[in-house]
Amino acid sequence: MSDLLKSLSPVWRWGILALLTLLILFLPIPGNAAEPAEKTFQIKASQFAYSPAILAVNPGDQVTIELLAADVVHGLSIDGYKLETTSDPGQTARLTFVADQQGSFRFRCTVTCGNLHPFMIGKLQVGQNALLWRGALLAGLALIAGIWGVRK
Amino acid sequence: MRKEWIARSVILVLVAAAITIPVVVWQARSRGIVIHARMAETGGWTPENLTVEVGQPLRLHLTSDDVMHSFAIGQSDEPPVNVIPGEITEVTLVFDEPGKYTFYCTRWCSVNHWRMRGTIEVTGPEAAAEAVEPPLYVTLGLDIDAEHHAEILPEQIPSARRGAQLGVEIPNKYISQEFYRSHSPADLWHALRGEARLSSLTNQDLWDLVALAWQSNTTPQELIVGKQLYATNCAACHGESGGGDGVFADGLDQPKTGEHTDMQAGEMTARPSDFTDAEHMLAASPARLQGKVLRGGMGTGMPYWGPIFTEEQIWALIAYLYNFQFELEDQP
Amino acid sequence: MNKLQEIAWKEKFPQFAGEVEIHARLELPRRIDLHQIPWIRPLLQSRWPQFLIRSLTLAGFVFTIFAGLFGSRVGSHNFAIIFVWIAWWTALKLAFIPLGGRSWCSVCPIPLPGEWLQQGGILEKSRRRFGLNLRWPKRLRGSWLQSGGFLLIGLFSAVTLTDARLTAWVLIGLFGLAVILSLVFERRAFCSYICPIGGFTGIYAKTAPVELRVIDTAICAAHSEKTCYQSCPWGLYPVALRDSAQCGLCMECLRSCPSDNIAVNLRPFGTDLAADIKSMRQSSRLDEAFLALVMLGSALAFAAVFTGPWGNLKSAAFAIGSPVWLLYGLGLLVLNLVILPGAFVLTVWMGQRWSGVKVQLRRAIADQAQVLLPQGLFAWIAFTVSFAFPKMNYVLSVISDPLGWGWNLLGTANSTWSPDVSAFSHALQVALLLVGLFWSARVAQRLVRKSNQPVFRQALPILLFCLVFSLAMLWLLVG
Repeated sequence: MSDLLKSLSPVWRWGILALLTLLILFLPIPGNAAEPAEKTFQIKASQFAYSPAILAVNPGDQVTIELLAADVVHGLSIDGYKLETTSDPGQTARLTFVADQQGSFRFRCTVTCGNLHPFMIGKLQVGQNALLWRGALLAGLALIAGIWGVRK
Repeated sequence: MRKEWIARSVILVLVAAAITIPVVVWQARSRGIVIHARMAETGGWTPENLTVEVGQPLRLHLTSDDVMHSFAIGQSDEPPVNVIPGEITEVTLVFDEPGKYTFYCTRWCSVNHWRMRGTIEVTGPEAAAEAVEPPLYVTLGLDIDAEHHAEILPEQIPSARRGAQLGVEIPNKYISQEFYRSHSPADLWHALRGEARLSSLTNQDLWDLVALAWQSNTTPQELIVGKQLYATNCAACHGESGGGDGVFADGLDQPKTGEHTDMQAGEMTARPSDFTDAEHMLAASPARLQGKVLRGGMGTGMPYWGPIFTEEQIWALIAYLYNFQFELEDQP
Repeated sequence: MNKLQEIAWKEKFPQFAGEVEIHARLELPRRIDLHQIPWIRPLLQSRWPQFLIRSLTLAGFVFTIFAGLFGSRVGSHNFAIIFVWIAWWTALKLAFIPLGGRSWCSVCPIPLPGEWLQQGGILEKSRRRFGLNLRWPKRLRGSWLQSGGFLLIGLFSAVTLTDARLTAWVLIGLFGLAVILSLVFERRAFCSYICPIGGFTGIYAKTAPVELRVIDTAICAAHSEKTCYQSCPWGLYPVALRDSAQCGLCMECLRSCPSDNIAVNLRPFGTDLAADIKSMRQSSRLDEAFLALVMLGSALAFAAVFTGPWGNLKSAAFAIGSPVWLLYGLGLLVLNLVILPGAFVLTVWMGQRWSGVKVQLRRAIADQAQVLLPQGLFAWIAFTVSFAFPKMNYVLSVISDPLGWGWNLLGTANSTWSPDVSAFSHALQVALLLVGLFWSARVAQRLVRKSNQPVFRQALPILLFCLVFSLAMLWLLVG
């Protein structure tokens, strides 16, 4: 087998790598076929963290986020979903949307709440994080591509 | 040698420009007073005290140095303006009457947010001294710090709608505004219990009548105003559902929980009142509640809202507070 | 195009020109000498273009300090924070370093006053010079102090990156330190041994497509005065330049060479890594290996603290002086001083044992550390994309209102326009990490080929190390 691999001309080598790359990029990731449900999360926002900061939902879920600021005025906007809301302490703000995009999305604070405001971040995980899986597999492939050709 | 001097001049000019241009621009644009807003713990409003003459415009540039604040004048119709971190909001005020006005922050910015207040002294020809009426609790001689609790409590939440369905007429003297303001729900209940006409009604029925009486002393519009005031000013400590469980409640609850780094030294605080607690709430008259709102708490950390709310606003807020005890809506 | 010849590096720094020995001569193709291009040549020969750029960066630097000290304390509306930690940092990581190597060093304003004092003039040297001109202590040579400096940045990063006043004071401190060092030591001592930016810029310059090299060493051998060495503010000897890590691209040697024997070459990426020479003397050093590891560890730490959802970690990093901060600092130091170096040494040792290659461990570590450079560079680029892209809209608004005083100089003060780069940004970060990993694997392959026992097993442990790092970085950034 290793003899075969060694004897492959560069054209074949790159061809196989390209094929594997395409496979990894476009192969559908098996997700759980869960029924879309309604999920509600109560997120407490304080300087400078959301609690809970990591939300996991299934694709298609109707998600309601109740944002409650605990010390100063905070906001929440979800990357990729173009949604935003603001909460004053004592006034819960509600955000309802359908999680139709899969992947991992960061949500950030949108009202300057102090020094670390730009880094007040949480994560919304919808279904499988296809990018992470594909990236990990491609990393393995990149490694192989990088060293292929070294004589044993 | 000439090249050297040219080079030195270039450096001098550019570095000087880097410093003088901002200073020049700042001088050119400086009109009006710049007020920096910070959380009360780190300074509050700077400057805190302003003076202006009657009829003269007071131009303010408001900016925040830390978090979101807002600016409003107490007991005035001026809408609040947001004071945004790093940005300048311009506000021009003109006062028609001389006197001492309070300006304050209207968006919770820390547990001591309510201390973020300043004064504007408006000078001018002395206005005719208005006879200032003392608040109702003073007139009534009410000790608003005294213990108050209701002995007999309703089994379910008293409902004005059910009370209306009883088809019973409440004697006028009990539903007058004067009576309403100076008596607690428990007082009214006892009075009704003493009425021979109503002796056939159950305790719960009488509570429903009390709710009805309370409802007749307010309007849906007033309740909406009260609800908004509550959400903006009270919910942070007293909780959105009135349970004394707002976001700052734990921090105020000495000495059981919470950190005291936010509190000024020597300040005593207590857990915010629970408006859903029937035993205490039903024994509180509107006058008592008004007193607490106006004067604040002694050793409890409850803010004093006297300079901030108009009387109308306070009565609206109080009407809403009973909403935690009664169902005051007509629709179920 | 002239023929290019290289001289192998000796293990230690030459104390004076006569110490350099001339070893094998090789021809190196695939270079374009910018100095010979007709319209570029006058720009490099004359001191004015570089001087003008540097005077602008100096003015910008002074303005940044001014803004940091007197402007709004809200970081997002202060020129100091946005331009130092977002604009300049992004330019450094995405343009200056990958495309120009140590090109920032050639326009950096920090050493300027010190240089002026040392040479007694701004543009022209004079006879009246200031400074003691002491040699930098031998013990403190190398990039150890720079690694320490970068770890220090990591310890205080949560506050420095967000507090405008502190940023200004840090810049003032660096400025002052550079001046003081210039008055005590010779040449650009601050830049070579203290500046943390200089540290990692140097090691990553090995991957960059720009280099400064001598063309014909025979000419140099015949030149007794060695004006290039006299004029180099970095204390380098151009003839002996083996890699691009130390050269700050100031072009002074270019200007002082009487035989036009120095070239500024565009070259393929990564030429300094596992470089092609017959002699096995690599130019990699142990201190560079350590710095490369510190950069990897810092990339992980910064990604976790700044782009992660762990509020407790951020608060710990922010609460300087508190017990949790000490815990955070301990974690950071353990990661960078124990875990990563330990794991790396282990992988190198395993590779050696497994393949039977007989090389001194210190030399093996220094050589193999070159594998970490492309990956580290791209990890930092990916982190910068993740960190800075969502905040790019601040750059526009801060240009119009640099001090947060409500100005609107160019009409962009209220620009909240920010392209929604979130989807594109994540894919870009993944792509960058993949390129870095691929390139690192390539370097590992080259190293194996060059060793006297080209056995694949030698590289396997270190490749696993790289893979684990890439997966960790991947998870932190897009997980």
